[in-house]
Amino acid sequence: MESLPPQWGNCTQKTKKEGTFIMRSTKPFRSCLLSMLLIVVMSWNIFPGAARAQDELRIATSYKLMTLDPHYANLNENTSLLSHIYERLVYQDEKLDLKPGLAVSWRATSETQWQFKLRENVRFHDGSPFTADDVVYTIERIRDFVKSPNGGFRSYVSGIKSVSAPDPLTVVIETSGPVPNLPLSFSSIFVMHRPGQGFQTTQELNAGHAPVGTGPYRFESWSSGEMLKLKRNNDYWGDKPDWPEVTFRVIESPAARVAALTTGDVDIADAIPARDVASLKQRGAKIASVGAARINFIQFDVERETLPGVTDKSGVEIANPFKNPLVRRALAMATDRGVLVDKILAGYGTAAAQVFPNGLPGTSANLTPEAPNYEEAKALLAEAGFPEGFHVVLAGPAGRYPGDGESLQAIAQSWARIGVAVQPATSPFSVFNTRRAAGDYALWYGGTSGETVDVILHALLASPDPEGGSGALNFGHYRNQAFDQMLAKAQSIEEGLERNNALAEATDFVMADQPIIPLYHFHHIVGYGARVAAYAMHPRGWTTAMQTLPVTE
Amino acid sequence: MALISVALGRLAQAFLLLLAMSLVGFLGIHSVGNPVFNIVNIETATPEDIRNATIALGLDQPIWHQYGVFISNVVRGNFGTSYIYHMPAFALVISKLPATLELACVAMLIAAPVGVGLGLLAGRQSGTVFDRIVLRSSVFALSIPSFWLSMMLILAGAILTGWFPSGGRGATASFLGQEWSVLTRNGFWHLFLPALALAIPNIALIARLSRSGTIEVENLDFTRFCRAKGLSPRRILLRHTLPNISMPIVTIIGLQFGGMLAFAVVVESIFAWPGVGKLLIDSIQLLDRPVVMATLTFISVTFVALNAFVDLFHAVLDPRVRLSS
Amino acid sequence: MKTEILRALKKRPYGQVLTVPMIVLATYILLALAAPVIAPQNPYDPLQIYGWEASSSPGTPGSGGYLYLLGTDGLGRDILSTILYGLRISLVVSITSAAIAALIGLTAGVSAAYFGSWVDSAIMRLVDLQLSLPTILVALIAIVTLGPGIDRIILALIIAQWATYARLVRSVALSETNKSYMDAARLMRLPTSRIIFRHLLPNSIAPAVTLIPIEIGHAVALEATLSFLGLGVPIDKPSLGSAVANGFQYLLTGQYWTSLFPGLALFGLIASINFVGEDVRRHLDPRSRPV
Repeated sequence: MESLPPQWGNCTQKTKKEGTFIMRSTKPFRSCLLSMLLIVVMSWNIFPGAARAQDELRIATSYKLMTLDPHYANLNENTSLLSHIYERLVYQDEKLDLKPGLAVSWRATSETQWQFKLRENVRFHDGSPFTADDVVYTIERIRDFVKSPNGGFRSYVSGIKSVSAPDPLTVVIETSGPVPNLPLSFSSIFVMHRPGQGFQTTQELNAGHAPVGTGPYRFESWSSGEMLKLKRNNDYWGDKPDWPEVTFRVIESPAARVAALTTGDVDIADAIPARDVASLKQRGAKIASVGAARINFIQFDVERETLPGVTDKSGVEIANPFKNPLVRRALAMATDRGVLVDKILAGYGTAAAQVFPNGLPGTSANLTPEAPNYEEAKALLAEAGFPEGFHVVLAGPAGRYPGDGESLQAIAQSWARIGVAVQPATSPFSVFNTRRAAGDYALWYGGTSGETVDVILHALLASPDPEGGSGALNFGHYRNQAFDQMLAKAQSIEEGLERNNALAEATDFVMADQPIIPLYHFHHIVGYGARVAAYAMHPRGWTTAMQTLPVTE
Repeated sequence: MALISVALGRLAQAFLLLLAMSLVGFLGIHSVGNPVFNIVNIETATPEDIRNATIALGLDQPIWHQYGVFISNVVRGNFGTSYIYHMPAFALVISKLPATLELACVAMLIAAPVGVGLGLLAGRQSGTVFDRIVLRSSVFALSIPSFWLSMMLILAGAILTGWFPSGGRGATASFLGQEWSVLTRNGFWHLFLPALALAIPNIALIARLSRSGTIEVENLDFTRFCRAKGLSPRRILLRHTLPNISMPIVTIIGLQFGGMLAFAVVVESIFAWPGVGKLLIDSIQLLDRPVVMATLTFISVTFVALNAFVDLFHAVLDPRVRLSS
Repeated sequence: MKTEILRALKKRPYGQVLTVPMIVLATYILLALAAPVIAPQNPYDPLQIYGWEASSSPGTPGSGGYLYLLGTDGLGRDILSTILYGLRISLVVSITSAAIAALIGLTAGVSAAYFGSWVDSAIMRLVDLQLSLPTILVALIAIVTLGPGIDRIILALIIAQWATYARLVRSVALSETNKSYMDAARLMRLPTSRIIFRHLLPNSIAPAVTLIPIEIGHAVALEATLSFLGLGVPIDKPSLGSAVANGFQYLLTGQYWTSLFPGLALFGLIASINFVGEDVRRHLDPRSRPV
């Protein structure tokens, strides 16, 4: 017997027992094989591929729809697709401004009371009319009933003391304290229809007992994490949707989404990797993109006295250098965002100097990303007492955000030029979070998104306060009381120019201290095929049929 | 009687294996990280949300307690609910099974005839140039790492020529309540490259085995007798040699089927083929412990069962094989 | 008939001294040893990498004053240098793990054969358990449990491989223990450790040694696969496997060089090890004769 390479070693040992053995060809086996072949050959044309209706829109999405309960998890993964079926009182448009949704108007009647006027003649998919009682039900369901392990949408309604419906088209909401941005909360909450009694459970909804909403599309069928089929709602109150049928296919692998688009298996594919854009265009696909309302950044631990992995060049542990704003400033100055944006994101990213792309409400016009200045950065480091630089471990997740792992290595290249030796360390997202929560990291790559600038500032840069809920993402424990006050003041102002200016001022103030190094706002990229005329991108990164304009013959 | 006790022994051993593996896998996933961070939206969650999620998943309990709960649930046939997909873990694995199964079957349908054919021819002409080529290229074929082979197939078959799609499953058709790709032309087109990637090492393996078997059989008296009787070489090869070497080949096909389930981890990841192997890798990345445990258990059980089946097959057909050895 | 005569003529008593695969393998080892001297760039030194030159095609001149002969990857690392340095990691990982696995497997196998009874059954149950799972799965579980890092990968490969040696050595040692020289040693009341290490082990070692080169080839492939799946070496110190993996995401973009060249190097390495391993086995193992 031949010796075989090792992968197959187990098998050779097994077969050594055989020796030779006279056996006649087994007839039953052969006929079985034959019939199997026959079945395959015959069925080839009996089962054609899923019939492709002329008017069906097929979308390959990276958002794996995990549940049909719109109140279960506050993740784009669910809300993007569920927004076809359910609607919100308030709609956030492409400029992140609030527009009427199921509510036609809203106003604060006192410091702690809001009144929403609802749209008339709106019907749910089962034919029943939409009334104020449905809004009450929705808020009650989120606040009192849905006990999802991830918290669901409860944080949006936590400030609400009571809800009442004085008439079928008016909702009055009492809050426990002033909540000037309450309407914003309602741009995230899907309105459900009150069933006869009690509350609908998540299981009931997942079982596909036709989820009933007011949205432009009706639920047809779904398969968790795989696909969602929708039909046009012909009684929709607004503009009639363009596509009679919509099928979402969940394809998590970017390469497979790209492939599906190139072969014409789908009309739209979202979350296209920037590096694939050029070849997609070459193959005739069209591309739409928009700077995402989100930020990826480097965050420092500025609290502890010493940090894991931070040593001088000879490997001796040193005092936390990131307590010194000069060091943070020097590192920011030595970061080449151009490489990140142009090379790693292939141009589909915007270099960042603050938490939102410049121009969006609440951003500061004074802050613009700067080119790296290694000389000055080196001088700053020397001034801070580190003329020789130091060693750090820069941690980050792998494969969570576009360009995350590569960014760490590109930053290592930049910082090496001012004497800071970086050892990049990536792990899967949950491992990364576990270790960061355990205090294993000194500085790390992170990312966050939010409805508005103040939501991000509040979570990322405000002093951490578990009671008040501020600083939930301020894992580096940066504290700046003056900034806290400026932010609180800005947040107490009602939506509008004054509020936005106050936010921009607060941003200017805090970024001078460089508590984080903003890296980039990556772009949402969507590719579409010949049957689509245009696709309107939304900075929140939603992928919907409503954004898709068909080619008209 | 002996057969029964041997079978019981095997069963006990398999049981032990599963227990050991479940413990290692469970502790392994636990030590890697906290799945809670994949479940909450880390960008908006408050510390309280994280605490609630931890309690809801039972992750606040000591690990031995969690393991106990897990085992007692498994005994009742419940692997738990996927943290990510919110559906029963084992049902999830089963729903991905048709994709892997059809991939392995098509790969074997390619590998077996090609491998046996090459092996028979090479064995009969042992020492010739053809034989050497077969032998040499089989070593090469067994040396290609499966992930690189898959990538090169994509490069050659999809990107440079555009003949095949580069990934995904394509259209499926429903049969026996499951979705199958082989049943549609588009699906089969998607299936071909990954199946080839799985088949190539197996072609080499089967060819080597049939070659050495053929050489051995060709030197036996009965083949010489056949030759003396004046039977055509083709008839000898197909009617006499082939049946005589089929035993080890059937064995290897059985065993490699299990191996394919494991190697599918790599091939499925690269071709974005939504099967059991890809589910395993994804779930490991997402720390979706119930799914990881269900998938591992499923692959192990299949592998052990195939091993046992192959042994049983021998015991029934070949009286000389002693199971006790 | 003719072929048999031809074969007999060609047959040399000790086989060919130098075969092509041996030369290839020797070249690989030399290249790996000399990597720091001959590589145009040190891909582990961020100061030598220029991010702006990422994704350059083969033959582009680089800022370091040399040519990117095989192009650069998505971060600007020279592919040729990455291959040379990656070769070192792949070889160190596979040789170390195969050697240690052989040592452990040998000891375990010989102990099982010598002591018999519960030691034997304990060790062999463990071996059976492990060998009843595909090797790649064992390595996968091991690396997930152990976490990333080069030392962990070596450990995971040892765990995945020792059982093969143990099973082989035990069967050989078992037949040795019944031979008369062992009885003699026992009658002379030699210490157990001396009997095992001075008499039993040397006599049972041959088949395990023939297995080593083949297992090294196996280890290279396994390490590459684990690194490919993102479970292996650190990202800034790519092995051949993770270099291919880095190239995978660029496969569809037409940047073939980031995955093609490291893959070719890896393939050549494994193939030459397998060819050499097969030769070694043929020549050392008296039971298998060249066909």
